[in-house]
Amino acid sequence: MFKELDPILHSQLRLAVVSLLISVKEAEFTFLKEKTNSSAGNLSVQINKLKDAGYIDVAKQFSNNYPQTICKITPIGINAFELYVKALQAYMNPFNKSPS
Amino acid sequence: MEEAEKILTEKESLELISQMINKAKNSYHDSGIGPILWGSVIALCSLVTFLQIRFDFPLPFDIWYLTLIAILPQILIVRKEKKKNKVRSYDNITMDYVWTSFGIGIFILVFINANIVSHLNPIFQTYIDVKGTRPNFNYSSFSTSFFLLLYGFPTIITGGCMKMKPMLIGGIICWIAAIVSVYTTIQWDMLLTAFAAISAWLIPGIIMMKRNKKSQANNV
Repeated sequence: MFKELDPILHSQLRLAVVSLLISVKEAEFTFLKEKTNSSAGNLSVQINKLKDAGYIDVAKQFSNNYPQTICKITPIGINAFELYVKALQAYMNPFNKSPS
Repeated sequence: MEEAEKILTEKESLELISQMINKAKNSYHDSGIGPILWGSVIALCSLVTFLQIRFDFPLPFDIWYLTLIAILPQILIVRKEKKKNKVRSYDNITMDYVWTSFGIGIFILVFINANIVSHLNPIFQTYIDVKGTRPNFNYSSFSTSFFLLLYGFPTIITGGCMKMKPMLIGGIICWIAAIVSVYTTIQWDMLLTAFAAISAWLIPGIIMMKRNKKSQANNV
């Protein structure tokens, strides 16, 4: 009856990262760390999981001799996020017709 | 947010999404340096031109060449801010397009005006030859109205979309000045242009700079 929620997105930090990235074109690792109040290590692990799932692109570069990690949501990530939100809405309003 | 694998309820998930989208939405910041630069340069050029006409004194160069020189610091400001920004929002992209197209639009308008003037000059010369007096028409006075009209577009878009009320008001002042300048001579058009540049860019730029410094101090 209910669609299963995407396990990649249904975790606090990963969902926070994807929600931030859906609203911007690209963001630096430090921006994500600051907005999610997470530790660098934990965030790094979760970013890798999202990257492995194909939900985000991660580009590493140097800026003024400092390493810079830039994250960007992919079309697969956007699609997964939209499906996740629709599934959430179906859970919240079970008597409404499913938007799918 | 240490527990990455913490399983959320549906309500918590929606709350988190909305919270993060709001945080990202507030990530657009303008240092205000660009508007301060252009507000000052345009106001200075206009005021000097006003004084030149008023007191009839020549300068060894055209003061408006300052606008070309100001492109260099503008490029440096943009490059520095891009490096400094940790996030590139869709607002940033929109603003880049709006102001780049405005800059190019100004050059196109200068090109069009130069062509109109080159076509009008022989007509004026014929008029002087026949009538013995200069015609009571100065195209430069009307070209100021076109510039002021153009100044208003990106200023109103930025002020409205980025919720910067002083800039929105400044953009409206540009358009009012554009209408008024149709009825004034080139001398007073220059004063109107200076007033418009100060209202549309210099004052909002100073306000943006102060806000930006305040928000940076709060984040420390």
